[in-house]
Order: sequence, then C-alpha cells, then structure tokens
Amino acid sequence: MRKAMVLFASLFVATAWASSESSEGHGEGHEPSTPEYILHHVSDSNDFELEVPLGKPIHLGAIPPIRVGSCEPKMTDHGPQIPGLGEGCLDLSITKHTVMMWLAALLLLGTVLIWSNRDKTKLVPRGAGANLIEMLVLFVRDEMAIKNIGKEDGPRYVPYLLTAFFFILFMNLLGLVPWMATATGNLAVTAGLAICTFLVTQAAGIRAAGLGGYLKHLTGGVHPLLWPIMIPVEVLGLFTKPFALTMRLFANMLAGHIVLFFLLGLIFILGHPGVAVVSVPFAFAIYLLELFVAFVQAYVFTLLSALFIGMAVATGHHHDDHGHGEQGHGHAEGGAGHDHGKAHA
Amino acid sequence: MEAKEPREKVGSDGSELGETARQMRAAQPYIAAVWKLVGGAVVGVLGGYWLDKALKTGPWLMVGLSLVGICVGFYGFLREMARLGKRK
Repeated sequence: MRKAMVLFASLFVATAWASSESSEGHGEGHEPSTPEYILHHVSDSNDFELEVPLGKPIHLGAIPPIRVGSCEPKMTDHGPQIPGLGEGCLDLSITKHTVMMWLAALLLLGTVLIWSNRDKTKLVPRGAGANLIEMLVLFVRDEMAIKNIGKEDGPRYVPYLLTAFFFILFMNLLGLVPWMATATGNLAVTAGLAICTFLVTQAAGIRAAGLGGYLKHLTGGVHPLLWPIMIPVEVLGLFTKPFALTMRLFANMLAGHIVLFFLLGLIFILGHPGVAVVSVPFAFAIYLLELFVAFVQAYVFTLLSALFIGMAVATGHHHDDHGHGEQGHGHAEGGAGHDHGKAHA
Repeated sequence: MEAKEPREKVGSDGSELGETARQMRAAQPYIAAVWKLVGGAVVGVLGGYWLDKALKTGPWLMVGLSLVGICVGFYGFLREMARLGKRK
C-alpha cells in the first residue's frame, strides 16, 4: 500500500513538473489563473471541451443557445449582456450540466432496468447488481419512507423518493468521472429537484387535509382582518424548506469539487512541483471523501424530502381528526403536528 | 380509556416513527411560531417598501406596514406559544 502511494505521488510530481515546464514554454495568449481555471471547470457552459493532460483542451464544439422571450443583448459597463429571467428572457440552452443530467438519467434507466430484470419465478434475486439495487430500494422504503411518513402512507411516496435518490446519486457520481461535470453543483439543477419535492410535499398535504383544510392552514388561524399579513407570512414559510434543500445540495457538491481542484492548484499557485508530494495525496483523500459525499448527499436529500412529506401528511391527518372548526391551526408548511395534543389523551 | 401516543411519535397510521422524524415533528410547532415572529416583520418591511416604490409615498407605507407586520407577527407568535403552553 505504501509503495503504491509513493508511486502515485511520484507520478503526480513528474506530471506537475512536466506541466509547469510546458506552460513556461507556451506563453502566448491569456493563460487563466488557477481560480479562473477552477471556476471555469465547476461552472456551467454550452461550450464542450475535453481536457488533455499536459496539453490544450480539445474543443468539441458549442451548442447554439436556445432563448425564449426578449433576449436582445444590452450594453453594460462590462460589455453586452443577455437579460435575465426577471427581464423576460428564458434561457433554455443545452449546457454541459443538462447533458450530464441526460446521461445520468440514461445510465440510471439502463442500470436499474438491467439489474431489476431477474428471474421472477425465483423469490431471491441472484447477482451482485440485483442484490445491491434491492438493498438500496429496501433502505429507501424502510428506513426513509416508512420511518418518516408512516407505514400506511410511506409506500405511496417511495417511487418519488427512489427516483430522487438514484438520480442525485448518479449525477453526483458522474461528476467524479474524468471529463464529466457535476450537475448537482449547479443551483438551477438543485432548485429544480427541490421544486419537485416542494410540489410532492404540497400535494401530500392537500391529499391528506383536503384543499379546504390546506388553505385554512395558510391563514395562520388568525382573525380574517390579519390575513393580508399572515397569508404572505405562511406562503413565504412554504419556501424555506425547498430553499434549504437547494442550497445544501448545491453548496456541498460545489465545495467538494473546489477543494479538490484547489489542492491540486496549490502546485501551480506555489509554483513548485514538490508541493505535489503533499497536495496530491490530500486531493486523493478528498476524492475518496467525495465518493462518500455523493452517497451521503443523495441520502440526505431523500431523507429530508421524506421528512417534509411525512410532516405534511401528519398535518393533514391531524386536521381530519379534529375537524375544521377548531380555532387552533397548524403551520401551513409541510407541516408538523401542532397543537391538538390534548385531544389525543 | 387507553391513552394514545402523541401525534409527533407516530405515523399517520399509528406506526412507530424514526428518531429524526419524531424530533422534527416535536420541534416544528416552535419553528413555525418563530417563523411567524420573523415573517411578520419581513413581510411588513418588504410589502411597505414595494408599495412605497409603486405609489411614490416616501418611507411612510414602509414604516407603517413594518409596525403592522411586527405586531401581527408578535400576535401570531404569542398565540402559538400560549397554545403550546396549554398543551404541555
């Protein structure tokens, strides 16, 4: 093991040395600084390129942008800029993160279809793949759905939870493969996933409480004269949980990759190939940690989704148990058994 | 009559919930109460600011609605706390 580590480190030292020499040799055009290089690699773009070790990246081409609405470029101090969504321009361009999502979806479909296609006449699945899939599916059902939503309602939400878990897992893992990108390190992707959880949570709340009960929760249980203030407060409160889901997944995935790149970038920032002896093993350790984080983040997103759905369902059933006429109310947000505990006794 | 488990400890069907779910459900009424306190002020300030901009009424609507928002937030918070106190 020690020999392997020494070999691994020396390989990277040699690579870094050769790289620094080759970059000294070039010098034409604008050489991006290390932070610029890192930001370029973690950010989204519709320009596809393949990195070549010790060489210039190969440009595979750019997909022309697809924009809907009033998208005429506006002149600013920083040059022409495309208006944002708030100014009426919807950007539907196919970027590298979009492609990564498609790839993750295709891989997911292929893997699950192949591994779940077992001999149905036999009760016990055979093969590592089928057993692995079964173990993960059972984990999501028993440890996440049933433990957070309940035995009766939990299985109903298992398909969504499984989809979210495997999709996020595949996107996270794809980001660790060379030449690929981490789609979950993009705020738009995590926001899209959080919106899906938000919609499922609200649908679960409406299903359990009925539309009337759900809307009643939004009034905050106060006098109708106070509704103009209380309804926006409750509606705003609905978005706190998807916001937390969005930021947590995005920040965790992006931070891991930036740390990884910066550890390797230290060689170039400090300008001595000897730094690789320290930074490469560290980067390797972080890479292994990232592998673990890929599973943890998929798990946490799914667990939190199940928790929110469970709280929305509990609020709905709670509401049904006590009727609608009661003064006490719950919180609209997916949520939470409230204040009728006395009545249970 | 046999006492039922509080709602925070059981699923919709009365099954035992996981530890995290139980803790989250127990904490949720308090989080909701605090959100009312903060949210009232936030909605008052933002709503007043937006109305002031739209109607060009200077700072007055923002000041007024901030006070209203803070009062409604406090009222909602105290109401929720009183109910939680009664429950205990």
